Amino acid sequence: MALAREDILDFPLDRVPDATEFIEAAMHWHFSPQTGSPYWLERAKTLDFDPIRDVHTFDDLRLFPNVVDEFRHVPSEALIPKGYGDTATVIGVFESGGTTGSPKRLPFLEEWMARSESWQERHMDARGHTRGVNWLGVAPTGPHMFGSWTQRMARRRGGVPFFVDLDPRWVKKCIADGRPDEADRYAEHIVAQARDVLETQTIGYLVTTPPLLERLVRDEDTAKRINDMVEVVMWGGAHMDADTRHLLRTEVLPDVDLWGNYGSTMILSGTVERAGLAEDALCTFDTFSPHVTFSVIDPDTGERVPYGDRGQVVMNHISKAMLLPNNLERDTAIRVEPPSGHAGDSVADVAPVSTFGDKPVIEGVY
Amino acid sequence: MSEPIQLDALGPTGPYRARSRLTVTDVAGQPIAELSQVPRLYVNRTIGALRKGPTLSADQRAAALAEAGRAFASSTIAGMSVEEYEHYVSRVAGMPLAGVRTATQRTAQAAVEAYRSTRFARPEGAVEDWRDPMTRTGRAVWTRRGDVFAVLAPANHPGVHSLWLEALALGYRVVVRPSRREPFTPYRLVAALRETAFGDDAVALLPTDYAGADDIVSASDLTMVYGGDEVVEKYAADPTVLPQGPGRSKILLSGDDWRSHLDTVVDSVALHGGTGCINTTAVFVDGDPAPVAEALAERLSAIPSRRPEAEDAALPVQPADTAATIEKYLFDRAEGARTVLGGDGVADDLGDGSAALRPAVFQVDSPDAPQLNVELGFPCVWVAPWSPSDGVAPLRNTLVLTAIGAAEELVDRLVEEPTISNVYLGDHPTHWLEPGIPHDRYLAEFLMRTKAVIRG
Repeated sequence: MALAREDILDFPLDRVPDATEFIEAAMHWHFSPQTGSPYWLERAKTLDFDPIRDVHTFDDLRLFPNVVDEFRHVPSEALIPKGYGDTATVIGVFESGGTTGSPKRLPFLEEWMARSESWQERHMDARGHTRGVNWLGVAPTGPHMFGSWTQRMARRRGGVPFFVDLDPRWVKKCIADGRPDEADRYAEHIVAQARDVLETQTIGYLVTTPPLLERLVRDEDTAKRINDMVEVVMWGGAHMDADTRHLLRTEVLPDVDLWGNYGSTMILSGTVERAGLAEDALCTFDTFSPHVTFSVIDPDTGERVPYGDRGQVVMNHISKAMLLPNNLERDTAIRVEPPSGHAGDSVADVAPVSTFGDKPVIEGVY
Repeated sequence: MSEPIQLDALGPTGPYRARSRLTVTDVAGQPIAELSQVPRLYVNRTIGALRKGPTLSADQRAAALAEAGRAFASSTIAGMSVEEYEHYVSRVAGMPLAGVRTATQRTAQAAVEAYRSTRFARPEGAVEDWRDPMTRTGRAVWTRRGDVFAVLAPANHPGVHSLWLEALALGYRVVVRPSRREPFTPYRLVAALRETAFGDDAVALLPTDYAGADDIVSASDLTMVYGGDEVVEKYAADPTVLPQGPGRSKILLSGDDWRSHLDTVVDSVALHGGTGCINTTAVFVDGDPAPVAEALAERLSAIPSRRPEAEDAALPVQPADTAATIEKYLFDRAEGARTVLGGDGVADDLGDGSAALRPAVFQVDSPDAPQLNVELGFPCVWVAPWSPSDGVAPLRNTLVLTAIGAAEELVDRLVEEPTISNVYLGDHPTHWLEPGIPHDRYLAEFLMRTKAVIRG
């Protein structure tokens, strides 16, 4: 039996609705004067199409302009759909990395976070991750969703969260200011704190970023301790290249379930590494479809690249709590066929926009 | 189209083929090889493993170096013969084949003599071993400053790799990051060394990106880095880094019989395509520079344009678009100088997507003209007037200065001048170099220290 339109956006996780029905329900919710957010109701007036009339399918989402830059200054309350009345619980206003200009801010509602977490838990269960173990997060809290997510998730899983905080923007600033030594000292300071927890506590679940994980395991004793004690290492917040992933899985942490979570503030969640990938397969991420959908496109033509080719990632987030369609991210990835029934693309081997190429050096002989 | 040659990283547990690989193309843009790019994790693990590796005895090191040197110049290594190796180097680096062959022989010779040549740098007061009887009454012992030495290598000349062999002779474990443009030489040399007693945990090849290169510098005890002025500046305050900057080698011609030294000047400018830091960039003439410039132009213009692998090739070859960029840069910089050769263009299209860089001669009107510092990777020379009243100042910041006919009083000052690394007097080309002779001081001055030991 099909879900009633008002229930489609809250679909039970084992009853995934048809993407078209889902998108139509979302357009009604976000663009009806009684339920839409002040931001979208106002913004709709400037669109040259009518979302309720014109947007039905996943492909129709491309009608929307990329609005994410506006979230650098839109007041967060303007982004909360009126349909919640006074029942919306904002668990935090989380910000994007702030790599490209001032940060983008989005309010995260308890209702959405819980849905997203339930969905991720299904994947953890499917991978056989034990409940009730201690977690160690070595990740940013502050305005970033990563830290909050980790601590909430640890509790959901019946574990106790240990935590080492960091400020990634300070690291970026040190590097941008030509102070790599300062960034280095700061990273060592974080890693030393994490090591201390690992050496003195029993940790089953480690959550961190690829650069910090790499630094942690540079020390062979720490690598051994993680390999012997930790059941799962979950990484996110930055890219991990295929060679590093392979080394970690085969040489450095062979006894650990290393899995990736590719997230973005602009989709208000993560995407999970597909289980059961072959030894040599690229790390592939599946989204929480139809809430979160990707398309991998050729940035020059806007068309989707064939499966197996690399392109730039366009992200859509559609939930009751938020509408954020057609956002062209800076990341590139290989387009992969999604699991059956999923809308959009899955992605593999996510990488930052290529910075390859030496700047031409003319003078001098070297 | 045949499969590209795979140039793997050479790490502590053997060759490592990364998923991330760069295509190495020849000067015509044809793909020749794929160069693995190792991630930072691999860099740090390799250096960690090398640090734990065993140190061979001095005798074993000298023998292994000699063995590797002979193999480098004569054996098939990693499936590649010497002839194939030399062909590929000339095709990807655009270096005239004759120059590559000379470098092969010199590298082999440097390996054979690496141990002996390091001995020249040992302070007279220092002994080799704490067991030396001299330490019973107190003595300096010559010791390493660290265990792991890294080289961020350039592509301009295969001969640069002969230098770091001395670090192995001194007992260092060595990590080489090859350039992406010409990785064949360090690959072959490292592979040859690993077939000797050095083994996989004494010497490694780590092709990697900029972030990986920074990790090499920070994880190694000491590093030699090749680059331009910006590299020299970046590491100026770092006592663990030895920057190898531009050479800006020069010739000073005094006296009336400069014509009888013309061979030396031409050879200094153009030998093996003029791509070395020890090729001459500027000629200073005590007298009228015009006839010198014209004589140089006449001689240099006779060099034919050839593909680099030709037997009679003598000019460097670059991809045509790179050559065009270099030409434009040269003409921009030459503004205000008198063009004696090369005014019609220096990039000579060879019809296959590559271009030879033909010689250029310019005359400037003062010994402090800014162009005199413009060092380019082909026979390009700036000729300037100089008189004794100009003094040493215009001759500073020089890797090799050949002074022909200089007065003894001037020679005193040139030898004393701290920013001139080497002074050759008379008919010696700036590219003269022998094992046992410092290139830019002895490398061992950077790698070694003395330590007081007394016992008994």
